[in-house]
Amino acid sequence: MNHDSWSLWRAQVAAILRLEIKKNFLAKRGLWIYLLAAAPVVLMWVHAALNLRDHRVCDLGHDSLIFAAMFQFFYLRLAIFFGCVGVFLRLFRGEMMEKSLHYYLLAPVRREVLLVGKYLAGVITTSIIFCTGTALALIALLVHVPRTAAEQYLFAGGGLGHVLAYIGTAALACIGYGGVFLLMGFLFRNPVVPVVLVFLWEGANPFLPALLKRLSVIFYLHSLIPISVPAQGDFAFLAILSTPTPAYLAVAGLLLIALAGLWLAARQVRKLEINYGVE
Amino acid sequence: MTGNEIVFENVSRFYGDVLGVNRVNLAIPPGITSLVGPNGSGKTTLMNLMTGLLRPSQGRIDILGVAPDDPERLFRFVGYCTQFDSFPRGMTGYQFIYAYLRLHGKPHAEADEMTWRAIDRVKLTDAAARKIAGYSKGMRQRIKLAQAICHNPTVLVLDEPLNGLDPLVRAETIALFRSLAETGKHVIISSHILHEVDAISDQVILLSSGYVVAEGQIHGVRTEVEDHPMQILIRCNRPGALASRIFELDTVVEACVHNDGKGLLVRTRDPDRFYLMLNRLVVDGVDLESVAPADDDVNSVYEYLIGPDGGSI
Amino acid sequence: MAVYKRSYHGYSGALTPEWSRFAIIPRYAYRRLFQSKIMTAFFVLCFVSPLVFLSLIYVANSFGSIAGLFGAKGARSPITIDGEFFLIYLGVQSPLAFILASFVGPGLVSTDLSNRALTLYLARPFSRVEYVIGKMSVLLVLLSTITWIPGLILFGVQSALAGGGWLIHNLWVAWAIFAGFWIWILVIALTALALSAWVKWKIAAGALLLGVFFVGAGLGQAINAVLDVRWGRLINLSDVFAAVWSNLFRMPNGRDISPTSAWIMLALVCASCIWLLYRKLRAVEVVR
Ligand SMILES: Nc1ncnc2c1ncn2[C@@H]1O[C@H](COP(=O)(O)OP(=O)(O)OP(=O)(O)O)[C@@H](O)[C@H]1O
Ligand SMILES: [Mg+2]
Repeated sequence: MNHDSWSLWRAQVAAILRLEIKKNFLAKRGLWIYLLAAAPVVLMWVHAALNLRDHRVCDLGHDSLIFAAMFQFFYLRLAIFFGCVGVFLRLFRGEMMEKSLHYYLLAPVRREVLLVGKYLAGVITTSIIFCTGTALALIALLVHVPRTAAEQYLFAGGGLGHVLAYIGTAALACIGYGGVFLLMGFLFRNPVVPVVLVFLWEGANPFLPALLKRLSVIFYLHSLIPISVPAQGDFAFLAILSTPTPAYLAVAGLLLIALAGLWLAARQVRKLEINYGVE
Repeated sequence: MTGNEIVFENVSRFYGDVLGVNRVNLAIPPGITSLVGPNGSGKTTLMNLMTGLLRPSQGRIDILGVAPDDPERLFRFVGYCTQFDSFPRGMTGYQFIYAYLRLHGKPHAEADEMTWRAIDRVKLTDAAARKIAGYSKGMRQRIKLAQAICHNPTVLVLDEPLNGLDPLVRAETIALFRSLAETGKHVIISSHILHEVDAISDQVILLSSGYVVAEGQIHGVRTEVEDHPMQILIRCNRPGALASRIFELDTVVEACVHNDGKGLLVRTRDPDRFYLMLNRLVVDGVDLESVAPADDDVNSVYEYLIGPDGGSI
Repeated sequence: MAVYKRSYHGYSGALTPEWSRFAIIPRYAYRRLFQSKIMTAFFVLCFVSPLVFLSLIYVANSFGSIAGLFGAKGARSPITIDGEFFLIYLGVQSPLAFILASFVGPGLVSTDLSNRALTLYLARPFSRVEYVIGKMSVLLVLLSTITWIPGLILFGVQSALAGGGWLIHNLWVAWAIFAGFWIWILVIALTALALSAWVKWKIAAGALLLGVFFVGAGLGQAINAVLDVRWGRLINLSDVFAAVWSNLFRMPNGRDISPTSAWIMLALVCASCIWLLYRKLRAVEVVR
């Protein structure tokens, strides 16, 4: 019986994934998420192409700093943040607005299984988009420097670890923000104001007392990125100054936040009612 | 307990201060059951409660031994065609049914076969590959119906399933309901037109402002009316003479001549006998201009039970 | 069965004059908007800062006599009411207008589209342009009441208190207040409508409107850093506006954006919004 349930749930989650991922990837209105993810890629490639055309030799150290800044301030704080807002709020709140959620609730699927399926679909979509974005941008970073320098960086300078860390951080960001916004979709009929509050909270992270810092996603993400760039000038509003925690703690903290979001959302989904009229 | 009935025990549901349904007690056996009532009487609320889309504020519901808050078991044998005219975005008719069948955990081949069977049953085979967003109202209604019946449920809950169907399709759909009911399934249909479901239902449940005002076999509801005299309006040249003859029938309760001297209102307990007699009277030379039930049978049940302002039929 | 031959007669009564027909939309929109308590409360809060500025103007003009009460003869006010003063007012009120627009704007069009209600409008003698103007007017009137209208009132109060000489000397400031706010509310109203017509979903449209500003700022910075250029700032709409405003208020421009390029950028934004609205506001979409 127990084994049967598990295999049933697996099949159901797979069915949900098929449905949702297709919707996520092919929705024309999701185009802006691709644009967000692609912006740094395009920038890095244009930079690479310009340098290659002009036969300029670029300083990998300088470029990787620029990349780190862009990843830290643009990708984590803005692109992945808003991308997750779009994808994860759509999962439940969006389907309520479109009045199509009841088809899920009328299938022989446990509400919790539905929640997990949809969350996974969101995580898979966003992390595919943003990890690919990160990887492509990193490739651009490496192709336009001399081959020896790139190899030196990757295999002797610990660059391979950096590359994996960037990609992993992007995925973990999707997992963490996903949990937060999934929950928001349940709690608020119009989550825009709460989303803005979360955005400000994440931005205010450096000024918070140590305990409250740990209640944000960006705190842990920050501990994971390989090169931390101090914010100056116009980036100041996105600044994050924090003493990093060890990586294993940061990963655990992020997963914990995601799990807490999922658990609270599961409590909501169990008593979810279809009340489209008043949305 | 695995009953063979859908049981409501003292179920109430409020939307804030607004009453959805109140103190409903029902035991619905297999066959076609119609929920009838004017707009806002609580039909949809009752169906949503049955399928767990809403939770009762009070009371207990039991669908053949399963509680509505256990979707994993419930929807193995329940299909619900809702009133919402909305669909997941960007899907074709086929994908719509197939994708949600996969949620049952069925493998591709089986789901595919069941999908086509359901689509054939509602005669949408030609349109199956088109996007639902481009369907007509009747086609949308039918694809929803197909989705509700695709997994061969034994309890079928259908909210206004005949809405927007043309007469031909309507007849076919009704035949489909009958054939399902004959195999011992529960088919629950809602409608605000008693007329529409009168002939096909095994039992009706009349709702008004959130209360169940009558339930039972359609004949039962009819005899209810027999205790309640029926009014017939007659226009003729000699209403006085007619009135005197009419009272020969002991089932006539009242006859009242109109002021203009050309009409007569009769109240009778047995309209059938009255009509028979009327035929004889005409032979005797009374010149009838018109005979019309001031309230015909289904309407009068409705009006009698729900009140004349209970909604238009 | 009797068959009656009747031909159809359309409505033949009087119609509202065409120029004022769009007003039907704001008439009902406000009633609904102010049913929301949060919205009403926020709207009232938006008038707090004009009051503060009003009292500053009063203090600045009667500083001498107030200081006299405390025995300080001949003291000069630390506040001078000039273009910069009103530029600060602009800087305070414009974010409030933006927040209000992101509250109100997305619900205006996206709900009509997602409920397929646009047909109901267009089935009447009501064109798409009138529809857009009607919806825009909801936002524009609402935003005007918290931006340039109190701004000009402040200006009027100041000229009444400071006398005709000040007025003549500073008349251009009135124009700057008027134009500076108008360009702001026009652009955000258009953006709000266009984005909500695009995503057809109120919440996403609200988030997107915020995103356009935040993400634009971040992206502009990234462009500057990666490509080692300066034009990245043009994507940062708040910088663009800052450049336009300091141009209008005859202040030195701290951002390295030339006023011309800023104006062109704003025109581009408006044009693309209008294009989006033109594309997306259709009574019926053909589904393939
Ligand atoms: N989400 C809701 N919020 C508040 N009141 C509601 C809600 N849904 C239904 N109601 C109220 O509950 C009552 C019953 O509504 P219900 O939808 O069940 O009627 P119905 O019989 O299905 O009507 P119809 O024939 O129009 O479909 C009505 O008074 C309605 O106003
Ligand atoms: Mg209903």
